[in-house]
Amino acid sequence: MADRVILTLGTKKGVFVADAAKPRRSFALRGPFGPGVPVYSTLVDTRGTPCLYASSCNPFFGMKVLRSTNMGKSFKETKSAPAFPKEDGRTLANIWSLEIGGGKKELWCGVEPASLFRSHDGGDSWEMVPGISNHEHARKWQPGNGGLCLHTIIRDGSRVHLGISTGGHYLSEDAGGTFKASNEGVGAGFAPDPYPEFGQCVHKIARHDDAPGRLYMQNHGGWADWTGPGGPRPNIGVLRSDDHGYSWRSIAKGLPSDFGFPIIVHPHDADTVYVMPLEPATRSCPGGAPAVWRSENGGNTWSRLARGLPKKESYFTVLRDAMDIDRLKVPALYFGTTTGQLWIGREGGEKWDCLFDSLPPIHTVKVAVV
Amino acid sequence: MGPTPIVTLHVLGSLRMYCAGASQLAISAHTVRAALDDLERSQSALYRNVCDETGTVRRHLNVFVNSDNVRDLAGLDTTLTPGDVLTILPAVSGG
Repeated sequence: MADRVILTLGTKKGVFVADAAKPRRSFALRGPFGPGVPVYSTLVDTRGTPCLYASSCNPFFGMKVLRSTNMGKSFKETKSAPAFPKEDGRTLANIWSLEIGGGKKELWCGVEPASLFRSHDGGDSWEMVPGISNHEHARKWQPGNGGLCLHTIIRDGSRVHLGISTGGHYLSEDAGGTFKASNEGVGAGFAPDPYPEFGQCVHKIARHDDAPGRLYMQNHGGWADWTGPGGPRPNIGVLRSDDHGYSWRSIAKGLPSDFGFPIIVHPHDADTVYVMPLEPATRSCPGGAPAVWRSENGGNTWSRLARGLPKKESYFTVLRDAMDIDRLKVPALYFGTTTGQLWIGREGGEKWDCLFDSLPPIHTVKVAVV
Repeated sequence: MGPTPIVTLHVLGSLRMYCAGASQLAISAHTVRAALDDLERSQSALYRNVCDETGTVRRHLNVFVNSDNVRDLAGLDTTLTPGDVLTILPAVSGG
């Protein structure tokens, strides 16, 4: 019986693990694990005996994948990490996403430069997925400020959705064999054409199992005031699709900013979605007053959730994978900041408390009930 | 070309886990490049920490022959003589 809430925190200086009993009154922190290098992705694999994974992005000695089979008491490197074939010419610069695959020990891994790898043995060996890694667009994608990263992997039966910055949203209907750019309605602010076929700076995509076909996207917004070729692009930052990602429409109206990084969906209600609006120029909290914004009607209207959060002088950033929500009956949200704070939003984000306030800059927060 | 010189590779402490704990490895090679090729064959896990997928020495590592950075010699084509000491070190960093 699942009775613990476990958090994996990928930071600039390694991975931390925090866990608590179900009431979530207090969390015990362990770590940092790894050689003190950045961790941009973690995964809590709850299939069978729970297993934790973390990328370890060593600027000196290359990329590694760490694995824990004892609930985060210790981590060991897997036998190998994703690597491009020698003749490919590309070299792995970062590991941005780790997700479970369909097979028993299958893992999927999104990397920088934007490519996809798959493991069938829990991360001990990896193969490149050519359908996206060698896509005809792949050599035309451009890196954003964070690098050219494949950061989002969503599997839905034989459909696979990928988020690439800056590449856009790519969709496979054949379990990852082939991919097509699927960005109708997804705006770009940094190109003369406001709606290109591909090349959008998608920040994150989320979906809910109960709403087949519906997807939410946090795109790179903040282009309402653009006066150059193509004209202004208001509200291109927060989007929704109702046709499996073939077309998208804005749901940003009512938010203080359409710029942000994470977007997550309530585990028990596909109409409830959360974003963390940020000032587009500074990537920090609008007016120095952080808030998570929630829509309970699929993005038609938004409300501000800030009870317990600082009311002023707070200018952190919450990165694309640094917000998550647990699956308990009354779920709690969690977000980590670039200033090393981990916050919990109890009662679905109604009341916020700071769990840890002096961690290294936080890149990723994942939660599971195990 | 004479007999292949035997040189000593000093292994950084944090990399010894990739070569069964060895602090030194004896390598027969005429050049630094050949020494890395030998490492790829004989110590592939250690090699992957030193060179990327294309066989290039990782960007933030420096390779020394005795006291000299190979960057100031002939790069990976620097020739080796018997008894040379090969050292691979991370570049200095802060923050």
